[in-house]
Amino acid sequence: MRTLATLSVGATAAVRGLHLAEREATWLRAVGLFEGVEVTPLRFAPLGGPMHLRTSTGAELAVDLELAQCVEVSS
Amino acid sequence: MSHVVLVGRPNAGKSSLYNALTGGSAKVGNFPGITVDVLEAHLELTDGERMTVVDLPGVYSVEGHADPESDEGHARRYLDGLVTSKTPHLIAQVLDCTQLELGLRLTNELRRRGAPLVVLATQHDVLVSQGSELDAAALSAALGVEVLVLSVREPGVQQKLRVFLQDAQRKLELPGVGAIDPSKLAKQVLKPLANFAAAAAKARARTAQLDAVLLHPVFAPFFFVGLMTLLFASVFLVADPVTSFIDVIIRALSERIESALGPGMVTSLLVDGVLGGAGTVLAFLPQIVILTMAMEVIESSGYLSRGTFFVHRILKLAGLGGRSFVPLLTAHACAVPAIQSARIIRDPGQRLLTILVLPLMTCSARIPTYGLLITTFFSDRAPWFKGAMFVGLYFAGVFFGFVASVVLGRSMKRTAKPQPLVLEMPAYRRPQLKVVFRLGARAASRFVKEVGSVILIASVVLWALLTVPGPSSVEASHAAPPGSSARVQAMHGSLAAWVGRALEPITRPAGFDWRLNVGLIGSVGARELMVGTLGVIFGIEGDEDVAPLSAEIREARTASGAKAYGVPTALALMAFFIIACQCMSTLAAVRRETRSWRWPAFVFAYTYGAAWLLAVVVFQSARALGL
Repeated sequence: MRTLATLSVGATAAVRGLHLAEREATWLRAVGLFEGVEVTPLRFAPLGGPMHLRTSTGAELAVDLELAQCVEVSS
Repeated sequence: MSHVVLVGRPNAGKSSLYNALTGGSAKVGNFPGITVDVLEAHLELTDGERMTVVDLPGVYSVEGHADPESDEGHARRYLDGLVTSKTPHLIAQVLDCTQLELGLRLTNELRRRGAPLVVLATQHDVLVSQGSELDAAALSAALGVEVLVLSVREPGVQQKLRVFLQDAQRKLELPGVGAIDPSKLAKQVLKPLANFAAAAAKARARTAQLDAVLLHPVFAPFFFVGLMTLLFASVFLVADPVTSFIDVIIRALSERIESALGPGMVTSLLVDGVLGGAGTVLAFLPQIVILTMAMEVIESSGYLSRGTFFVHRILKLAGLGGRSFVPLLTAHACAVPAIQSARIIRDPGQRLLTILVLPLMTCSARIPTYGLLITTFFSDRAPWFKGAMFVGLYFAGVFFGFVASVVLGRSMKRTAKPQPLVLEMPAYRRPQLKVVFRLGARAASRFVKEVGSVILIASVVLWALLTVPGPSSVEASHAAPPGSSARVQAMHGSLAAWVGRALEPITRPAGFDWRLNVGLIGSVGARELMVGTLGVIFGIEGDEDVAPLSAEIREARTASGAKAYGVPTALALMAFFIIACQCMSTLAAVRRETRSWRWPAFVFAYTYGAAWLLAVVVFQSARALGL
């Protein structure tokens, strides 16, 4: 499984699935990380901090790396 | 009369719109979650009609689970309450045109609720600057909902909104049924303008360029620390001359009163009680105004999300999270709203921990004490040294806050795994100077009112307590410094002095005598009272000569005639003020947000205990070092 956390800066992939508890997944979808949306990492904060990404809806999000490991993306 | 409820995603522009509609002054930021409370305004419309407008905290969804104590939870509870109480209401969804697809996902959910619905499509000016425009008629037809396109900065926006909502309120039309595809619809209704390619590229470029610098892995931390240093130093350096000027006016006034009324009790009440107490505190007005305005600039620019991005990892080490950053930063102005804004923290454990350490951040009420101590004991030092000391006090607050959250976080039982950070990073926005100045003016008037009421009353009460003799007043009055006048001797035998002296066994290791103790007791209610209290005590002690408070304190004597205070006392007092939660409003806010007496009691106990301990360590070490 390829996850959001492994995407490199500038690469684009589509979200395939959220491997999270349903409650968290629902919230994440509402915020803007839903199945089908395309994501492009812009940068990673140093020392294992969050990643900064842009989605195809035009939103920019900061996402904790731990969480990004639970977001499956297209390879 | 029905309610018009503004619902929208966080940072969609609800509060700006609410302000435009009501002429009110809801706090507007550029960070998801600035409105954490439900705001209501009652409007008089034309034809005598009335309307209640409600501004809710932002919600991403009205269907999924929301923690009841979070800001989203508060909004959801309000919405659900409208349904159960059967209050007639119109949902006005505030939809950011520049985030149309995400907004339409929420529209889908709102349509499913089946309550009367309209859409207010905001930020249209920004959309146009990005090279697109919204086809409102097409959107309205697809949703089966009336749509108003607007920008809060356009002229006549208040009237336009009122007319639209008044009409919608009369009709209370139900939305169309059947799900829409947000992605497809967004593409359909957004029409590119002729300059689309160039404008879109330019719009992204500005935020991207700023981010390249402000989120640079090496440069960004320096920028952040530099920005904070500059802010705190400027609070001290820019405002200090103004404070001295106000101080000069107050002293001139005191001299006038003394020469007009001659010595006596009334003169003492006016000069020592009113001007010495409340007047001295009033001199710190500029610092508080500068700090409030600077914080507003940072908040409305969009920098807060960037700061959050950066400090998330560090805060995680302390058991907090990136979302704790905004409450922690805003607590540098005042802890009370910061404690309420902790509702943006979705994780309950992190929220509680943040609330418990927020009072350690250096709020503006500490400025008068820090300012007084620095000008009193370090007056001969260079301005940069004094500025650095002031900044150091701010960072000391951050440091001890960090220590406290590590210690408290370790000992708190976690019931669930912490929720990881997901945060929107909004585009940068130019702060509106009008709003910045309005907030500065409001901070000034609030401070003046507070000085004119609470602090004035407290100063007068204290003056009275320093006049009324206490038990064993005759022996105690001999403890006055040699050569004291009858009035000063009487103060040393007063009721307040008696109480202050009773605490000396506890506070002596920290270098505090009864006079400072009285100040500390006065400041249990609010920190500003420390300076007010000292102003009264040393005003009386200074007898007829009208010297600045700092000089009076420097020259204060013990019963044996030795100098009462030195640098070690000043440092110990600063240490005490860094940690102690001397603020009833803060404790009340902790009580409100945690719904228990246990946590405010805990905050009071742990901060006072730790403050005393640190003050003792600092005093003893400073003395040992011969400072």
